[in-house]
Amino acid sequence: MDILSSFYSGLLVVLEPHNLMYCFIGVFVGTFIGVLPGIGSMAAIAMILPLTFYLEPTSALVMIAGVYYGAEYGGSIASILMNIPGTPAASITAIEGYPMAKKGRAGVALFSTATASFGGGMIGMIVMAALSPSLAKLALSFGPADYFAVILLGLIAASAVSNGGALKGITMVVAGLMLGTIGIDLTTGDLRYTMGIPELRDGVHIVIVAMGLFGVSEVIASIRTNKGGSIAQKIDYNHFYPTREEWKSLFAPIMRGGAIGSVFGALPGTGQTIAAAIAYAVEKRVNRAKNLFGTGVVPGVAVPEAANNSATQTAFIPTLTLGVPGSPPMAIVIGALMIYGITPGPRLLTEEPDLFWGLVASFLVGNVMLIILNIPLIGIWVRLLQIPYKYMYPTIIVLICIGVYSLNNNVFDIWLTLIIGAVGYWMKLYKFEPAPLLLGFVLGPLMEEQLRRAMLLSRGDPMVFLERPISATLIAITVAVLIYAFYAAIRAKKITASTSSEVQQEGPNT
Amino acid sequence: MIRNYLKSIGASAMALSLLWAPSAMAEPGAWSDEPVRIVVTFPPGGASDLVARLLAQYLDTEFGQKAVVDNRPGAAGTVAADYVAQQDPDGTTLILANNAPYTIAPTRFKSIPYDPVNGATHVAYIGASAPGLFVQPSAGIKSLEDYITHVKDTPMTYGSSGVGSISHILGEAVDASLGVESIHVPYKGSSPAIQDFRAGVLESFYDLAVQNSDMIEDKEAVAIAIASSVRNPELPDVPTFKEQGYDIVVENWVGLSGPAGIDPATVSKINETVLAVFANPEVQDRLTELGITHRAMDSQGYTDFVANQIEVWAPLIIATGIAE
Repeated sequence: MDILSSFYSGLLVVLEPHNLMYCFIGVFVGTFIGVLPGIGSMAAIAMILPLTFYLEPTSALVMIAGVYYGAEYGGSIASILMNIPGTPAASITAIEGYPMAKKGRAGVALFSTATASFGGGMIGMIVMAALSPSLAKLALSFGPADYFAVILLGLIAASAVSNGGALKGITMVVAGLMLGTIGIDLTTGDLRYTMGIPELRDGVHIVIVAMGLFGVSEVIASIRTNKGGSIAQKIDYNHFYPTREEWKSLFAPIMRGGAIGSVFGALPGTGQTIAAAIAYAVEKRVNRAKNLFGTGVVPGVAVPEAANNSATQTAFIPTLTLGVPGSPPMAIVIGALMIYGITPGPRLLTEEPDLFWGLVASFLVGNVMLIILNIPLIGIWVRLLQIPYKYMYPTIIVLICIGVYSLNNNVFDIWLTLIIGAVGYWMKLYKFEPAPLLLGFVLGPLMEEQLRRAMLLSRGDPMVFLERPISATLIAITVAVLIYAFYAAIRAKKITASTSSEVQQEGPNT
Repeated sequence: MIRNYLKSIGASAMALSLLWAPSAMAEPGAWSDEPVRIVVTFPPGGASDLVARLLAQYLDTEFGQKAVVDNRPGAAGTVAADYVAQQDPDGTTLILANNAPYTIAPTRFKSIPYDPVNGATHVAYIGASAPGLFVQPSAGIKSLEDYITHVKDTPMTYGSSGVGSISHILGEAVDASLGVESIHVPYKGSSPAIQDFRAGVLESFYDLAVQNSDMIEDKEAVAIAIASSVRNPELPDVPTFKEQGYDIVVENWVGLSGPAGIDPATVSKINETVLAVFANPEVQDRLTELGITHRAMDSQGYTDFVANQIEVWAPLIIATGIAE
């Protein structure tokens, strides 16, 4: 009951006209940028960040969140119609979505993804509303050792479930960790890897890394690859609604996808892409129509969308209740809140209830807006996809430069973004994934900070990690995950090489 | 605020030339037809930014002097200080000066691209806030004397808002003065430190005293002493280190400075105007809420103050181990 009344008061906050407006701007801009191939929620949030500096914290957070899940909705549009995923998570949607479009059922696929996204989003929202208060209460007694254990679990879980290209993945995580150590060492004040450049004293801002890797490099790549505008099928409103059987087949996958997404979203480290991939892999084993998977079936297109949208909402759980980013874009959210003097952590729920519950309620409002944007107004987005990239991408580069400059009013940051973008393009050519890099960049320094702090507080006794019950439990889970990962890897090798990497193999060529 | 900002951009675009005449008599009032930029060394939000915005707002509404806030954070304030040092000394670019670039950086960094005393015009001092020492209520420590007895036997952990921050410098100053060695645990800003303190893993912390008055009232923390020269009117029950025989005064000051070579008539005009803003009771109330004690100083007094602070702080900064 307490949660319901809190939710209701949050709803009143969101329904204030200005918050409604920011929520709408958020989901609209999110969908807009999500639709554009390759440029996902990370770049979308980074681009809208400067606009939020002068808003109230609640409006700013509602808008940033809207961009975040809006981009996940938008990401599926290009992946279904053109087999070009708008966001990394949407590449899983393309597995079933693009074949459906080729069969002339693009409308049904889009309708199903919008419905599944909504369903997944609502599951994520309910999980967040139900779990956050008790997690926050538990976290009141969290010390650095406990935070360290949470992050360790997240990083290990992320590497355990992401399959394929282990060496390249680890290389990227380490590269991210190294980038993250640039700047003043928090514990001693020493400068690390600044190479005498004063602008590097404060480290590299996450927005710069994200814009470089996910924005600039994508634009460079588009010069060679994407020419834009080849759409599998025109949207025709007569063929928009699923059949009665398909309607029925939607429900269970949405519930399963939403549940899987909630778990992986809430774990720091694993995010929407992993959630979508795992949900799809699970669905392929349990669904009644599993034999038809890969040919373009409604449950197959619904499940990754439900998973990635619920993961998007639950990523806010550790972000707001622990101050540990649930996914890389959440690191930007934490940074934005700090600007307002709000420190995300266990006290946020009680000290800023309007902010927290306003955000939770905005998920409902925003998802309803997205249903409207995505079903009756789908035509707008389809037309957006037909804008030639020679107009679209230069505009994006300009927006990126403005966004980066506004962080510190410093031109150096623009150059750094462009350099990271060029390196990111090189990584793309050699098939190094940028996502693990960002993960290492975001969580690595945080883990180091908590580790060294825990050791200082325990006066150098490492047993503190096993003596504190929360930390000990989490470390035990981490060890279990590791053992399971080794076991699964060995078993997978025994069966066939193909089963362990089916998601990768069947993924679209981007 | 955005509208004001846009308006002033428009005004600056329309201003074709700089039209101002230095008045012989310094009276509060606008000193430039162009909007004045107040550079802040921190990102938006936070006390320093609030003071700058407060000043900008009252300069406009009370004296018709348009002013905008320009946040240029980075490298412990040196990015902003260097930027301001390179601007034209016409009174249209000023900086909300503070410890970081002017008192700490000269000792901390091997070289800084600006001269903190002669390379700037220190126009008007604004005020200062003081940090204090807080301990867990469960430790049974009620006074500085109790604290000394306790830490002589078992060193305590203390949280600060970062290596080289004012709370760390105060921690070092207290250690040096009491002859003890506490365990310094740095955080990124004071709120995560306070979070760990409330979770019970941190035994004590230093932070701006007035900002923690709620915790003192709720008996979540015991304030042992404050590092100002006199007690803060907001916290009449918290004694100073000084009155208990330990000459530890470490204050977080703010002032308004500009590039070197601003015309003396303009300097006194700006000084008078800024003093008039901070004499306003509404503005004073806001400062008090932020824990800042205002003091009036002329430009020369403020310049001497900055030079003196660099010397007073140098040994403390070297003690923190952050000096390059």
